[in-house]
Formats: sequence, structure tokens, C-alpha cells
Amino acid sequence: MQSQQGNKFTIPIGPQHPALKEPEHFEFNVDGELVTGASVRLGYVHRGIEKGTENRSFVQSMYLLERVCGICSHVHATAFCLGVERLAEIEAPPRAQAIRVLVAELERIHSHMLWLGVGAHEAGFDTLFMYSWRDRETVLNLLEDITGNRINYSTNVLGGVKCDIDREQAAAIRQGLDFLEERTTHYLDVVTSDMMFLRRTRGVGVMTYDESQRLGAVGPTARASGVARDLRVDAAYAAYDKYPVNLVTETAGDLEARFVVRIKELFESFRVIRAVLDDLPEGDLTTRMPRRVKEGDTISRVEAPRGELFYYIKSNGTDTAERVKVRTPTLPNMASVLTLAVGHQLADMPMILVGIDPCFSCNDRMVSVKGTLDSQCWTWEQLRQYGIEYYR
Amino acid sequence: MNLLRGFATTIKHVLEEPVTVEYPEQERPVRERFKGRHALKRYDNGLEKCIGCSLCAAACPADAIWVEAAENTDDERYSPGERYAKTYEINMLRCIFCGYCEDACPTEAIVLEHEYRLSFSDRRDAIYTKDRLLDPVPPGGQDTPQITEPGQFDRAIPDMEDPD
Repeated sequence: MQSQQGNKFTIPIGPQHPALKEPEHFEFNVDGELVTGASVRLGYVHRGIEKGTENRSFVQSMYLLERVCGICSHVHATAFCLGVERLAEIEAPPRAQAIRVLVAELERIHSHMLWLGVGAHEAGFDTLFMYSWRDRETVLNLLEDITGNRINYSTNVLGGVKCDIDREQAAAIRQGLDFLEERTTHYLDVVTSDMMFLRRTRGVGVMTYDESQRLGAVGPTARASGVARDLRVDAAYAAYDKYPVNLVTETAGDLEARFVVRIKELFESFRVIRAVLDDLPEGDLTTRMPRRVKEGDTISRVEAPRGELFYYIKSNGTDTAERVKVRTPTLPNMASVLTLAVGHQLADMPMILVGIDPCFSCNDRMVSVKGTLDSQCWTWEQLRQYGIEYYR
Repeated sequence: MNLLRGFATTIKHVLEEPVTVEYPEQERPVRERFKGRHALKRYDNGLEKCIGCSLCAAACPADAIWVEAAENTDDERYSPGERYAKTYEINMLRCIFCGYCEDACPTEAIVLEHEYRLSFSDRRDAIYTKDRLLDPVPPGGQDTPQITEPGQFDRAIPDMEDPD
């Protein structure tokens, strides 16, 4: 804690801090208990994934990109697949597209349940945390049943999907969904009626419609402020045009609204999964994918559980991508945290941060090295020298 | 009244079975499609399915597989066809268990099995060599190398039954 003029302090939080699950550095200017300003420094978990795709083939890159996020890995693979398939001018068969939707919605349930637990934990409501994570096991078991993995499912392959769904699995999914629906109804009741919990969420971190538009918020965070924007509806990809999703929006814009939006999205996911199971098209799982992808570039966007996921893929006609750019939904939402922090108590900061469902390591695409060189571009030799000096 | 409701909830949950599993004593079975440690398969007569084509190594996104092939002869036959894997190593510290080696394999020689207890006290132990990966010889089969009739095992990919 460093002293500034008068009674104002700057409190640095992170990169290593008990309140944060992942390393990121925040600085809060406080006047007493009230936060008067906030800033963030990103880049502590930069993993060089975009660079890594440049010397891997398209197929190998998919397995790398699937590991950008440990929670929403399927949407990353879907975004990349859809982009590369568009470049290669092929289209996955209808059954594959339906299974992509099915796994994506199961993953959304998993992600929202996980977030519900984390949100409750940050509010000090650990009972809800334990129960929601217990129920999340149901959907993880279903995903393990379908794909073999609890996370990082590798369902997608370029040109289709890997795993089929048989009748027994469909029955298991329906049974799991019935249980989850009952529990989710209970959770919706809890987060909207528990007085202690509401005191942490109602009226905290209010983001108005205009503000969310100005800050460029995406996903459930924006939808809690009344922004009717969801790529599954606006630009239906995979089989979402066949299994339409109803938009869930709330107008309050506070933390309670974000809880309500995400829980109501769970019901929407249950409905879509049942629709897919009822009407699963027959046919092949994959189509033939050429090894070399035609020259060109494309933008592929999908709706991750946290918001819009953006991929830019450039191919130079070989079997390796020339450039892959990833933008995960945490980055556009991060600005809203810094703006909403102002005027709140320091104790509300973990809740406001968790309200956007942050995923820091997905979000770190760049790291800025503060050095003596003015140039933005460093040679390999300069980087090596910098490393030697740094650890001396 | 609220007090009673609270206690009723507690008592209800006391009677429930716990959802956790006491891991080392009890084990939760993995699902059919689970991807664990690899195994190199054999045909019923004991010949290895692996033909040393290195397609798994080419497909591996993590560069975990190292294959070195050598020529088969009828006096010293390890697998059908011309070549077999002389060295087959998987570095389990690099492996991400994506199962792409399985998909790439033309003879279905490498399969990700259900073993997940992989821990090592030495980095060298993490490199699984061919003798650790290869399945035991099936009953009625013969260990490799085998002495075979000329012309009996010409084809690297024998007529397999449909994987479905």
C-alpha cells in the first residue's frame, strides 16, 4: 500500500492474490472504503498460442486452440472449424452441425453452473457454490459419456465431428437435464429471494444500456443490461438456424440481473438440447477435408458462454495457417469492470469482477515488455539479451 | 416455523448418499470413450498391428510420439507388410490425450485405453517405450518376432472388420 496525497491510497491487487483465481494485476485508487479509480494490467498468462498456430497444421492447431480456454473449449474449436471450413469451401453434414450445437449447449450449462458457483463463493455464499458444483458434475458426466473427456472434449474435427450420439446416450442426457432443470428452478428462486445474497447483488455494479453500448460489453453481461445481442440469434452459425434460441435479457443491469440472465439461459439451453435430441438429422458425421486450404482470410464468430468469441483466420494456400487471431469475450467486458468499480466499496470488487465471468488466461493475447528499447519490434538477439539481463 | 423448515432440510441432506468418492480406496469407473494411456494392439496371432508408418507422429499436435521403422523379413516378422516400428516412444509429459494418433492410425494399432493413473518419479520414466505400450500376446498367439511363410503377410493393412 503506497501513500499518495491526503487520505487516498492505491491498492495493488495481484498478480498473485487470494481474491483472484488467475493472475492479473489491478490497481484500485481508494478514498477510505470507496473506489475512485481502477486500472488493470493484462498479460501475466500470455502463452503464445497465436504464434504457436503458425508452425502447426490446421488439424494440429485445432487441438491447440481448443486449449485456449479450459471451460469453453468447444466453442473455440467450433469457431476455428467453421472458419477453416468456410475457407476450404466445404460444409459439415447436418448431423455434425446438430451435434456441435448439442455439445456447445451442454458446455454452456457447465460454464454457467461453474460461474454460478464462483459468483456465490465470492459473495460468501459457499453453500450455493457447493450445490451448484455438485450439480455441474451431472453435465460433466454427460460430456464424458459423449466425448470421453470432462473438459477439452475434442468433439470437432475439420469437416465434422468425431463422436456420435446413440439412443442410450440421448436417454441419459434427457434424464440429466430433468434433474438439472429441477435444480436450476431452485437456484433461480434462491438468487432472487435470499435476502443475504441480494444485499451483495441487488443494485451493485449497475451498468445501464447506454453504458454497456459505450463500453462494448458482450454476452450475458450485456444482455443483463437490456442489450438484445446474441450471435446464436443474430448470425446463426452451425445448426442454430434449425434450433432457434430465444434471447434472454434483463433490464436492471446489476449483478442480480446477471445471475438471472445466466440462470434463465440455462433453461434455454435445456430446451435447445431437447430440441436437438428430438430432431437429430441422420447421416454422416464428417465430410472430406482437403489437407491444403485455399488462400484467403475469414472472420468466424460464435457465441461462447461468456459472450462473443472472435476468430480471424488467414490461409496462404498451404496446410498451415498464416495468421490466427483470437479475441475472447473477457477482453471487451474488462472495460466494464474498471468503469463500474468507481463509486463502489472495495469489498464489492471481487463480485463486480466475477460478474463478467472473467477468464484471464483466455484473454491474454499480448504481453508488453517494458525495456530500454523504443522500438516495438525486438530481434531474437535483443530478446535473448533482455532475458539474460532480467534474471541476472 | 422457519426453524423447523431449516432443520428439516438439514436432516434430509444428512440421509442422502455423499456424491464424493474416496479416491484411492474407491474408484469411479471411466466412460467408454475416455481417453487415457495408449496401448499398442496385436492381431490374434500375436503380430503387432503397428506398421511403423509414423502417421501418428505426424498428426500429434504436441510432438509426443517418436517412431523409427525397420524392415520386416519372413524370418523375423513383427507385423504384416514391409515394415514395423523398431522404436515406438510416447512422452507422457507432452501428450495431451487428444486421441488424434488413434484417428490417424491406418491399422488401428494405437488405442487410448482407460488407464489414467500416470505418475512418475523420474522424467525418464515418463517416456513410454514400445515394450511398455505393447499389449500382451493374446492366448493362442505367438510373441514377435515370428517366423512366417513367404507371401502370407504381404499386405500392411489386412482385411479388417468394419470398425462400426
